[in-house]
Amino acid sequence: MITLPPSERDLNAYVDGQLNEADRATMDTYLAANPALLQRLQGWQQDAHSLRAGLSGELHRMPNPQLDPSAIRRRIAQQRTRRIATAAALLVAVSLGGAGGWQARNMSIGHANPPMADAVQAYRLFAGNAEMASDWSATKTRDLQGWLDTHFARANRLPDLASAGFKPVSGRLTTTEQGPAAMVVYRDEQGRALSFYIRPPGELNKLLPRGSRRDGDLQADYWSGGGYNYAVVGPADDPAAQAARRAF
Amino acid sequence: MHDVDDPLRELLPRLRRFAVSLTRDPSSADDLVQSSLEKALSSWSGKRPEGDLRAWLFSILYRQFLDAHRRSRRYSRMLELFTGNSHDPHTPSAERTIVAQTTLQAFESLSAEQRALLLAVSVEGLSYKEVALMLDVPIGTVMSRLSRARQALRLLSEGEITTPALRILK
Repeated sequence: MITLPPSERDLNAYVDGQLNEADRATMDTYLAANPALLQRLQGWQQDAHSLRAGLSGELHRMPNPQLDPSAIRRRIAQQRTRRIATAAALLVAVSLGGAGGWQARNMSIGHANPPMADAVQAYRLFAGNAEMASDWSATKTRDLQGWLDTHFARANRLPDLASAGFKPVSGRLTTTEQGPAAMVVYRDEQGRALSFYIRPPGELNKLLPRGSRRDGDLQADYWSGGGYNYAVVGPADDPAAQAARRAF
Repeated sequence: MHDVDDPLRELLPRLRRFAVSLTRDPSSADDLVQSSLEKALSSWSGKRPEGDLRAWLFSILYRQFLDAHRRSRRYSRMLELFTGNSHDPHTPSAERTIVAQTTLQAFESLSAEQRALLLAVSVEGLSYKEVALMLDVPIGTVMSRLSRARQALRLLSEGEITTPALRILK
């Protein structure tokens, strides 16, 4: 039931024909007594009618195949595929970047720190110099192994290179970033020098697989054992030094 | 799965008509219908409320229109900032203030919301409740805005009022 005077909703419902029969009759009676309002509502009704007629032509435009539901579904599927492909490409790019960066880091670290570079440096510094000060010499004590063992517990045995003509001539203690190190220099009768180098693996406990590398005119053979890293350094292209290397 | 496609196809002409009445340009109207259908079909699973398919699609289309409209307004404001001249094709020009001759012309010069309201109610015959959902306003607001839109259309059709005066009416 509507109440009088009619609400905004009642007026519109009257225009749109959405009132029930009783309400409609009530409105008709009311409007008969209010000609101005009646005229207004009739104007609204007439406009609605003109609009329906005027816009009916819009329903008969040429169909647009792009708007067909099947075309829309195809496009949604394409967009989804494209998004997945983009996400996958992004993932691959990020992974490649990450892996590549890590690899580059390893390479640059490896490049900056070749294994047992300190052994080669020590050789260059001391072994070439016959006058080098020694912490051990054959004249003081015969027991080189004992001297080494007092500084490095459970160290590998010193190599016996006598068969290749090399004899230990001096030993020297030094310090490195990784801890204390010792170098024993062997010489043969022609004055060629080989060094045996021992030190702890350092904080990162970086033990080495057995390997060999060349550094200028020197060759370093390195390995790990008994909790230490070792290197034997000597001239790279010298046959006598190669023979000595084969001895251990 | 696609049993909704046929009812959708039947509604296409009505959606396109609604879009034209909002955008006032057939080709951007079809773009609007396309983006609305994409939205409707991608959120099809479970999101559609019970009720009239047409009212639901009209709501989506109207929201899409408002979003696009806001975007383009932001864009033109930005353009204005850079170029220093404003450009809005629908600003009432000298010609537009000439009295509208027919109901359709009068309809054209109403605001987008008034056009949506009159098309949904008078032409499509959607219920007031459905229109309230579409415009996202309470039903009482729908009624008063509907009366105002009808009155504006009436006055414009009779040539009693010019567009700038209509702005005061809003």
